[in-house]
Amino acid sequence: MKVAVLSFAEERAATYAGLLHAMPDVDLLLADPDGSPDDPGRGRSTARRLGATFAEGWDELFGLRPDAVVVVGEPGACRPLVERAARAGVPVLCEYPPTDGETDAERDADVLARVCEEAGVRLSVVSPVCFGPAFAAVRGELAKGGVTGRLTTIHGAYNGPRPAGERAARSGALGTNAPQLLDMVDAVLGGVHAEQVYAQTNGVGAEPGVASAALVTVRYADGTVVSLDCSWGAADAGPSAAGPVMTFIGEKASVEFTACPRLLGGFDAVTSRERPQTRGTDPYAVMLGEFVAGVSRGSGAGPDGAAALRTLRVIRAARESARTGRPVELAVPYGVAS
Amino acid sequence: MRQLETALIGAGLIARMHLEAWLAAGACVRIHSLDGRAEELVQEFDGFGVKAVGSLDEALDGVDAVDICSPTDTHRDIALTAIARGVAVVCEKPLAADVAEAEEIVGAAEKAGVPVYPAHDIRFAPAFARLHELVAEGHLGAGTVARFTVAGYHPRPWTGHATAESGGILTDQMLHGVDIAYWLFGDVVRVHAHYQGEITAPAPQGTAAVGTVVLTHAGGALSQVVSRWTPTPQPPIRVTFHVSGTGGTIVHDSEWPQEIQVSGGPAGTFGYYGESPFTSEIREFAQALRGGPQPRLVAHDALAAVRITQAAARSAWTGRAVELPVKGAAA
Repeated sequence: MKVAVLSFAEERAATYAGLLHAMPDVDLLLADPDGSPDDPGRGRSTARRLGATFAEGWDELFGLRPDAVVVVGEPGACRPLVERAARAGVPVLCEYPPTDGETDAERDADVLARVCEEAGVRLSVVSPVCFGPAFAAVRGELAKGGVTGRLTTIHGAYNGPRPAGERAARSGALGTNAPQLLDMVDAVLGGVHAEQVYAQTNGVGAEPGVASAALVTVRYADGTVVSLDCSWGAADAGPSAAGPVMTFIGEKASVEFTACPRLLGGFDAVTSRERPQTRGTDPYAVMLGEFVAGVSRGSGAGPDGAAALRTLRVIRAARESARTGRPVELAVPYGVAS
Repeated sequence: MRQLETALIGAGLIARMHLEAWLAAGACVRIHSLDGRAEELVQEFDGFGVKAVGSLDEALDGVDAVDICSPTDTHRDIALTAIARGVAVVCEKPLAADVAEAEEIVGAAEKAGVPVYPAHDIRFAPAFARLHELVAEGHLGAGTVARFTVAGYHPRPWTGHATAESGGILTDQMLHGVDIAYWLFGDVVRVHAHYQGEITAPAPQGTAAVGTVVLTHAGGALSQVVSRWTPTPQPPIRVTFHVSGTGGTIVHDSEWPQEIQVSGGPAGTFGYYGESPFTSEIREFAQALRGGPQPRLVAHDALAAVRITQAAARSAWTGRAVELPVKGAAA
């Protein structure tokens, strides 16, 4: 299968390219005609290092007829690439538009979701845990409800550290950590709409105007209450820093899900610190593997454009609630039955 | 990717797990079994490139590898036949029932330049694989003492005939623990062992036994392995380790919460254990057979495990510590 990575404006593109290249059934195509401001030769050098096909321009790239594309890059540049892939009938994996207020993330997501839907192309959004087999097992069993009974409450946390990128850091904990948690909830609840969002944030230990800690509570249209901690944490602060943790409380029993559980413990005599170790499986490798498998099955994988839009609406409401100190009621979008 | 062809010998529980792993690694598989169960397995995997063949000769004809999952006392003849024909050997543990047979297989393989990959699947369980990576990267410093425990329920009655002298648990389940100790700390020069509970076979399902082994490694490090067959199926398996060195410790307990935990009700069908170690293991062997890097398990690992477990059996039987010569150490 021919999988293309489009644009190397962000360093992550090289990581994605490396992970895709390692898959046995993938022929990797790369293109980066606009270059990256910090490293204009990144795309070409990655292609050379991996022995991947490098296309000089978008026309040449799409002329090679990729079976799937992964779009990485500056927010403004992503939209036309996704639109072009959709017109060519090629399934797309792309990242969340940033929710830092500089661009209208919801409008972008809405446009992409519609373009892909009209073209009959599956849009998948980067949200690694939602692609994983352990989460699929939880989701499948919760849907049956045999063990837990009817789901009433969900609480969860993802305390991933402050991101290195400046733009991502400006979007705060709600921008970096909330999407994955909300996508998991959306997947388990089957896309039911949020009715009320309440959030509190603080910037203790962060630069002015950046919310490094955030708690978000959401009541969904089916009555489920969800409370999430999206705060940045120290990198080695345990399972919720390594990946999302989530507890699903039902009328009969509850289930705890830990995306990156502790595999090993122990003590490091050199640093005089504990040394927790999580499982070695890279969630991004799992995500790309599932995306490629979904494309070859024709079934799609991970959150789609509509799911991303629901998540972005909750984040926008959370920002408003944090600012005003009041819960925000969300209207069910016109034409959508909850 | 080149299509691999594997001859699977045996059609029991382990053979089925290996079969699934070979198919996942993209191989096609012919099965030969003396107990007539090959056809059943083939029917179940109909359409996946699996067929049954009537003789060992037919099984080995033109294949890349043979995977021996038949009873231990058949390993030697099958392995030697394969090696003589230049067919690579994957073999379920233990490689052979005694040291002489294991040496014969490994010697023939070395002479013929044919690889032997022993299926010690525990090296592919994530906790052990990561432990070895950390130790190999130097995070433990110089190894001092390691402790390993394994407790499991044998899901079937013990079949075959084995005397107390043959070692019982010391030569079957214990092989996992000593293999890991050898992988981390290297050659073993002295072995002391006890066994308790039922040693002989046949025995009914739920038979309990304990093996306790202390290994002295050539480099000075020490390992303790306690291995149990539990009388009840709950918990199905419990594995712990505590490994110390001059750089600190590395510990693991299989009862630590992993991805999914249920409280307030039965776990039901929430089971999720990640990729099976068999799948990772056979994939690594398949890559090596296609010309990839040498796998983490080769002939001398199989031989070492048989030597150490047989020494443990002898120690338990005689009540003495057993010294093991280390090849090359005296030269």
